[in-house]
Amino acid sequence: MEYEFTLSFKLAASEADTDTLIERLGAAGCDDALVGIGQSGRIALNFTREASSAQDAIVSALRDVRKAIPDARLVEAGPDLVGLTDIAELVGVTRQNMRKLSLAYPESFPVPVHSGSVALWHLSHVLRWLSDRGRYEIESPIMEVARVTMQINLVKEAALIEQRVRREVRDLVA
Amino acid sequence: MARARHPKKEIEAAIRYAEANGWRVAVGGSHAWGTLYCPYNDAECRCGEFCITSIWSTPRNPGNYARKLRRVVDNCAARKRLANSVGGASDLE
Repeated sequence: MEYEFTLSFKLAASEADTDTLIERLGAAGCDDALVGIGQSGRIALNFTREASSAQDAIVSALRDVRKAIPDARLVEAGPDLVGLTDIAELVGVTRQNMRKLSLAYPESFPVPVHSGSVALWHLSHVLRWLSDRGRYEIESPIMEVARVTMQINLVKEAALIEQRVRREVRDLVA
Repeated sequence: MARARHPKKEIEAAIRYAEANGWRVAVGGSHAWGTLYCPYNDAECRCGEFCITSIWSTPRNPGNYARKLRRVVDNCAARKRLANSVGGASDLE
């Protein structure tokens, strides 16, 4: 199966010039990714990787990048955190349509992770909701990818947890 | 002088599509064949990371890769803004 996902990284300040990094990514097997270097100090790889599962695809991609640029730090695995426009594009409906759905089913539509001037959802939750309602045909590779990218971002964020706070609040926020 | 052609014809076609939309191409590299630069990559740009995109000499799947390159051009926010201001994207296709 082919899995499409994007990994974006922050580069160490001491890192070699981008031409060298790109050559190393090529040598490390990232030739199935589009490499974006439009933001200085960052590098983004949009993969379409053949693998037996989304997890294999994404984990092997993380390994390849680690091998090529050991000091690069993952910023985000995507698609995971998405707004309504992103969801609409991924599912292939209009934004208005997506917005209508989110308002029409306030009881069951997934709660956003953040709502402020923009609202953000975990894509995985929205895809599962759409698929459970049976009205939308969601392809299984993207469902799998969204589940794994969310897990990877959660693992990355978990490094920020302070154990003292965790012990005190984990039952209160469960 | 004309630039070198990409050895894979579907990728060469995607590069020409980018050029037709104002993107600049710089040739050079080994695993990399060259680099694409968006003409609108400025402070206002919100797409960011793929405004400068590297092009492999021998991507694993040239068909997939050519589609990705075209999508970067199509997703450019400045291009979409421009297309809307002239009443539709049709004349930019």
